[in-house]
Amino acid sequence: MTRSKTPGKTRLQGGRDAVNQVDFNRFRFWFQLVAFVLFVYGGYLAIDLGTHLPFFSCGYNKEGRAGVCYLLPLQHQLGRPLAMLFTAAGLAILTGFLLFALWFIVLNKGWCGFVCPLGTIQDWITALRRSLGVRYSKYTQGQFKQLTKIKYILLALMILIPLGVGGGIFSRDMSPPFCLICPARMILPIFTGDFSQFTVDFSSMTALVMTVFGMAVTGLFLVGSFVKKRFFCFFCPMSALHYLISKPALLKLKKDGDKCTRCGDCYRVCDMEIKEIADDVKTVDIMTDDCTLCLKCVASCPEPGALKATFCGIPIFEATEAGFIKRMSKGCHDGK
Amino acid sequence: MENKLHKVIPIQPVPYSRSRQAGESQTVLDHIVNDFPDNPAAMQYFYDLFQKVYCLGEDVPHEGLLVGTTCIQAPEELIYAFGATPMRLCNGSYHYDQRGGDFMPAKSCSLVKATLGMLSSDNIIPKIGKPDLIVNPTTCDQKKKSSAMIEGLGYAVFDLEFPNTKESEASREYWQRSVREFAVRLRELTGRKLTRKNLKDAIRKISRAQVAFRKLHNFRRISPSLILGKDAFLVTNAYFFDNIERWTEAVEKLNEELAQRELDGFKAVQSKAPRVLFTGSPPIFPNLKLPLLIEESGGVVVADETCSSNRMLYDMTAVDEWRVNDMVDSLADKYLKPCSCPIFTRNEDRRRRLLDLVKEFKADGVVYQAFAGCQVYEMEYRSVAEEFNRAGIPMLYIETDYSPDDKGQMSTRIEAFLESLKNKKKRQA
Repeated sequence: MTRSKTPGKTRLQGGRDAVNQVDFNRFRFWFQLVAFVLFVYGGYLAIDLGTHLPFFSCGYNKEGRAGVCYLLPLQHQLGRPLAMLFTAAGLAILTGFLLFALWFIVLNKGWCGFVCPLGTIQDWITALRRSLGVRYSKYTQGQFKQLTKIKYILLALMILIPLGVGGGIFSRDMSPPFCLICPARMILPIFTGDFSQFTVDFSSMTALVMTVFGMAVTGLFLVGSFVKKRFFCFFCPMSALHYLISKPALLKLKKDGDKCTRCGDCYRVCDMEIKEIADDVKTVDIMTDDCTLCLKCVASCPEPGALKATFCGIPIFEATEAGFIKRMSKGCHDGK
Repeated sequence: MENKLHKVIPIQPVPYSRSRQAGESQTVLDHIVNDFPDNPAAMQYFYDLFQKVYCLGEDVPHEGLLVGTTCIQAPEELIYAFGATPMRLCNGSYHYDQRGGDFMPAKSCSLVKATLGMLSSDNIIPKIGKPDLIVNPTTCDQKKKSSAMIEGLGYAVFDLEFPNTKESEASREYWQRSVREFAVRLRELTGRKLTRKNLKDAIRKISRAQVAFRKLHNFRRISPSLILGKDAFLVTNAYFFDNIERWTEAVEKLNEELAQRELDGFKAVQSKAPRVLFTGSPPIFPNLKLPLLIEESGGVVVADETCSSNRMLYDMTAVDEWRVNDMVDSLADKYLKPCSCPIFTRNEDRRRRLLDLVKEFKADGVVYQAFAGCQVYEMEYRSVAEEFNRAGIPMLYIETDYSPDDKGQMSTRIEAFLESLKNKKKRQA
């Protein structure tokens, strides 16, 4: 209710109000589309952002990629003969990880919610389902608690198997293990007309098993993300890796529990079914390991300042009553 | 030979407006209108409305079938979506409270007794007509037990099953199922279908009303106050039975006037008037005894946490996918998750909400009303008092009912409480 007196401040406040009242879903749709085009087709414009990207800008999309997902070089590096890991090559792994971490801390998991092409594809599949009038499905709390661990198991395997390959325990045909089963490897190249990943490799038993398994996962991905919002993100080892190093990130999701009425509106719209976002009134840094930082929760929170996204501690997008009302009444008119 | 006795003049039935029941409402309404200075001009709509409905007993019109609700937990959006009109049956009249005494033990909640008393009378005031269905959410024990009694009075009753806890996912899913069953019952009742369009329209209708309410609510943050609490309670009470579109327009008009008052630097009360947060059992017209006593003693009710006002209209629905299924589940969530009703096992949310309201509305103290026999509010008193003690916020707990008998001693207690708030303010200044 207090009004700022100085015109400069008013302009800043006006700008803030405009941001907080933005038609958030539309903004995010266009942001994701632009990011998708950039990372799937940017290569044609000779854009190359390196090989340490913290999201699935798939390296197998050889022509169009504008940079490579860090998981590909990481698995390759870890798959070198074990003795090499303790030489200068080991140092290269560390610097590589550092570069990855530098990319990561800018947007935190916002890479998942706003940039990751595989995430965007899932949102498009969700939009398709919605327009067909098909209902989404959910996990029970019990299922949620079990399944949420899978991404850590995948992360561990993604590190241990290449080490095993390097140590001669596993066949070379298992490397890079996660990429072989990652749906991005098969799906993203399609967008540049490359269907070559849709092949079964009969050269060895291991290769056969891995490629067939990869196909099965891709099939599961397509079906899963049709019935479940952001189906794959729940199991994503990148997401697990993100969470482990998310403490120093610049973009943060903050909650002021005193202002929260626990109305559950944020939980309602959460693609990842994160209950804590509504029920936890003690944690300030409210981003959990499943979060994709899509910020839909902030957009659907009616309590001023209860949820906000901050960058280097400065609020950039904040829950406001006016923003909530504007977005909701738009939804009542032409929401899908 | 004709007997002369036949010529005895029969007792003429007294018109409602001259009955004792109407008199009870008239006295309170006159007090609200005449005994306070500077009533907002836009309040005239509400004064007239209560005059017509409660004092003159005029008809309250409705569209489609009439669905009575006994609690804020009944999802009104669904009722509107099926083309029916919801009408809240919770009653505040002492006349009906006495009448309802036949149904319930002596020491039970006035509100429940008054609702039963109203439903058992031939001439229901507000004159809404006979509800085609009464939906009774299974909240407190007294409301639960009144289901069968209401049915016994010849009404169709739907027990809307409401969970006792709200934290668990199981209770959330249980409640979502209950709400879907309610939709099925409404479909059978009205013979209509729940479509995306009519549900969206219903959500829009209510959210527009909520937006108007929130705006009014926000104006009450300003100190010194722009509007008195007695008027705010009257506004939200009107929501029980008034046509929702007309109600919303009237509130929007009131908001415009308050915006003007803000610009003019208008003060509805003295700058030093103690600001009071009202919580507990709901004040429902004509039982505005306690809020009126506070304001005639020089205090001002700046906010409330009751199911006849704030809790009924504050929390809004968010929908992710505008499909019937998701909208119905979203509505269910809205009616369960933010609810700070004392019937739940835990009351953490209620205490947090109260603390937040005190802070946001700069309240100096809290008045906690518990209807004698309203066990859940009586039992929560202790934990709420402890919370306020810790926070250093003074609270006055008052156990009362609809009878006017205790007005004298209550007014003494309230005056003393407000005096202590003033002194505290002075010391702090």
